[in-house]
Amino acid sequence: MLVAQLLVNAIALGAAYALCALGFVLVLNATGAVNFAQGDMVTAGGLSSVAAASVLPMPAVVLMPVVMVAVGAIGAIAAAIAYLPLKNRPAVSVFISTIALGVILQNTMLAAAGPAPRAAPPLIATRLVQVYGVALPLQSLAVICVAVLVGGGLFVLLFQTRVGQKMRATAQDRAMAAALGIDVVRVIVLTFTLAAALGGAAGVLLSNTFFVTPFDGANYILKAYIAATIGGWGSIGGAALGALLIALFEVLFPALPLIAPSLARLPAAAEIFSQTSAAIALYIALLAILMLRPQGLFGETARRRA
Amino acid sequence: MSALSLRGAATPLGLGAAILLAWPFVFASAYDHRVFALSGIYALLVIGYQFIFGHAGAFALTQGAFFGIGAYAAAILGVRYGWTLELTVIPAMLLAIAVASIVAMPVIRLESHYFALATLGISQVALLVALNWESLTGGANGIAGVPGLSFAGIEATEGMKMAVLVWAVVVVGGALAWQATRGLYGQAMRLLRADDIAAAACGVDGARLRLVAFLLSAGYGGLAGALYAHALRVVSTETLEFHVMVACLAMAVIGGRARVAGAILGAVLLVHLPEWLRDFERYYLIAYGVLLLAMIVLAPDGLIGLVERGWRRISPPSPRSTPAPIPILGRAPVRHDVPALAVVDVSKRFGGVEAVAGVSFVVRAGDIVGLIGPNGSGKTTLLNVVSGFETPDRGHITIGGDSVDGLAAFCVARSGVARTFQTPRLVDDMSALENVAAARAWRLTPSLPSAISPRRAAHMDQRARGEALGLLESLGIAEHSTRQCGGLPIAVRRRIEVARALALEPFLLLFDEPAAGLAADERDDLARRLVALAQAGRALLIVEHDMSFLLPIANRVACLEGGRLIALGPPDEVAHDPAVIAAYLGTGRAGGMD
Repeated sequence: MLVAQLLVNAIALGAAYALCALGFVLVLNATGAVNFAQGDMVTAGGLSSVAAASVLPMPAVVLMPVVMVAVGAIGAIAAAIAYLPLKNRPAVSVFISTIALGVILQNTMLAAAGPAPRAAPPLIATRLVQVYGVALPLQSLAVICVAVLVGGGLFVLLFQTRVGQKMRATAQDRAMAAALGIDVVRVIVLTFTLAAALGGAAGVLLSNTFFVTPFDGANYILKAYIAATIGGWGSIGGAALGALLIALFEVLFPALPLIAPSLARLPAAAEIFSQTSAAIALYIALLAILMLRPQGLFGETARRRA
Repeated sequence: MSALSLRGAATPLGLGAAILLAWPFVFASAYDHRVFALSGIYALLVIGYQFIFGHAGAFALTQGAFFGIGAYAAAILGVRYGWTLELTVIPAMLLAIAVASIVAMPVIRLESHYFALATLGISQVALLVALNWESLTGGANGIAGVPGLSFAGIEATEGMKMAVLVWAVVVVGGALAWQATRGLYGQAMRLLRADDIAAAACGVDGARLRLVAFLLSAGYGGLAGALYAHALRVVSTETLEFHVMVACLAMAVIGGRARVAGAILGAVLLVHLPEWLRDFERYYLIAYGVLLLAMIVLAPDGLIGLVERGWRRISPPSPRSTPAPIPILGRAPVRHDVPALAVVDVSKRFGGVEAVAGVSFVVRAGDIVGLIGPNGSGKTTLLNVVSGFETPDRGHITIGGDSVDGLAAFCVARSGVARTFQTPRLVDDMSALENVAAARAWRLTPSLPSAISPRRAAHMDQRARGEALGLLESLGIAEHSTRQCGGLPIAVRRRIEVARALALEPFLLLFDEPAAGLAADERDDLARRLVALAQAGRALLIVEHDMSFLLPIANRVACLEGGRLIALGPPDEVAHDPAVIAAYLGTGRAGGMD
């Protein structure tokens, strides 16, 4: 019962992280650069759904397409001002320019929405539903369903359409794609747009369970970055899997004393199984993975300096 | 150090000094002095950050954490034991350096994006620890009541005195950083950040240089943190939050990444920005982001880069007084009793492809061995294995009789193996002379202490430039010595690369298609020079497609096909070997199929 609820919550969290991480990896593959503002797209999505709900009091599942379009537009602007002028420079320049963009976005959101934590409406409703006699939170189930739909849509777009083919060609080899007559700049702008829309979707999914404030982006970008790293740099499936692993760890680690009551009797159990120690353990695990398997848990090629 | 670079560096330094002197008189209130002191503290933080970010070229996101660690160390020692700056500053710096050396172990070799993430993760851990280890750090409340800034018993808590003390430290710290990076040592770092493969081929120990730069960054970060703790007398988890790192990064980018004056300019500007934009209240951070974005797009070398470019236009630099050419005396005489290079049964696989399969041959002093074979036959892989850039899966390599199995590329280079690349790997925005001189760095100025000693560093820099000029002269390209490599024709670039290879005093030289892209007369000239190198007792291994170039100068020729050695012998024999002809014509694929 408890374990089932925890698992559903963890998978819901992981599904939202995964959407954000997918956007991160799409831009990474298309440009070779880290888009550090991806986390702020999640915040933008959350705050947009709060704003949209105040105008149009509807369940978030209805508002979500609007939010994705709005945040997607931010992504297109991001490409225009923070990527295109730097497309022939080292990837670190884009990393820095997207940090700058993040500062701009965070403070614009602060000016627009204020520092107070907000909550967006639930996707459908917040109540428990009985599934095979187990009471599960409807919101978490809905988050999983919506994330799977959005992820499935992304899959269809990437692998079943001409546009997706162009995006994958550009991700493989920009110069080659350009030589084949693909308008690489357009494809990259589209990729940024799509990535931001995915981040925005993640924001809608997260900001009912969690409050949203203008400076949350740093947390989400870290999760996406870590997910992409442990999943194997550039791997789309790996990033989604990595995001799921992070969420499972984040939810289940602090809950271990609940799952196995004998652990609660350990000295200092409250400190050991806290959110903080879960976060510290996550970073230490990340360092260990980088040291022992720099190609990621599921990747193949090693990436080290000469 | 000759006159020009002193002048070139004196300009930004003078500018920094002018700002430093003018500021307190322009804005005279005690509050302004305190803000000015704060900008000095940030200047130190940024000067430190420039070592790893600007000079070593690694995108670290730990500088904010080093600042916070230094601040907490000073605050805790100050509050618990009543220690003042003189006593807390060393432990604060050492703690930051200790943390840096522990975290460097797993991360210093990581590729750029991973290094950034790993350092970001470490910073997050530091923040979480500070937030939760309440008994030590005061948790979210932080630590108050830190002893005020003082030095040698003199209180410096009042604005003007505080500014003077802080900026005195900035002057000392800035001068040290400037001295450490302006000579050969700095040039080795420049080579490393431009091209770490070329750096390794020049004997530069990239991991070590990056580590030293990282530890220096940490030391300066800890110092800035300690000053901050005593100046503000309060330390909270804010010092560890990401925005300190963002501020530091913004200052480095806006001011200039690899110039002390840039750090000072960036820090003064950005610390004062909120003061100047006070009317805009919280919108000023948006302006901050816009400024950072605009600078990275429009002026990647920062304000100091703009200033320097403008200055060069007003007063074009006079040609730097080049020292007289100096011959390199060279290492111990070549041994003729052992082969210069012995390759024994070497294999290398990439995934399912056997790039090199069971290849054995030797190259002796005075020999020119040609390595031929169709495209994809494993020639370049073999060069990479010999020069330490790839580790063979099987087999052994000895160089001058000593095994080099498992040695890193820079160690192989140091043991006397120099190479050139299919496409010359020169640093485009360094002059030909600097490119060659950088390859002397590990011999002449191998360590930080030798770089910091002004007399030794100047002497070694002078000597390296003389030797580099000697090499360029011997290759007939001395007239290009002061030109930036980026704009030079391929024939000259290839010769510069040869000069750089010779700067390593090698007894084994590896060439990867040295004649490609050369005109007929240039090729003949190159051929004569290669023969002269061999006659001087060096061993040469040359990968080449151009048979009319290679066959007349080679003593022996080895032919690879599908990773296997299918022929080895005098040039005439190999050229007429049916298996070799078949390999090139693609009929029968002789020898590659067993």
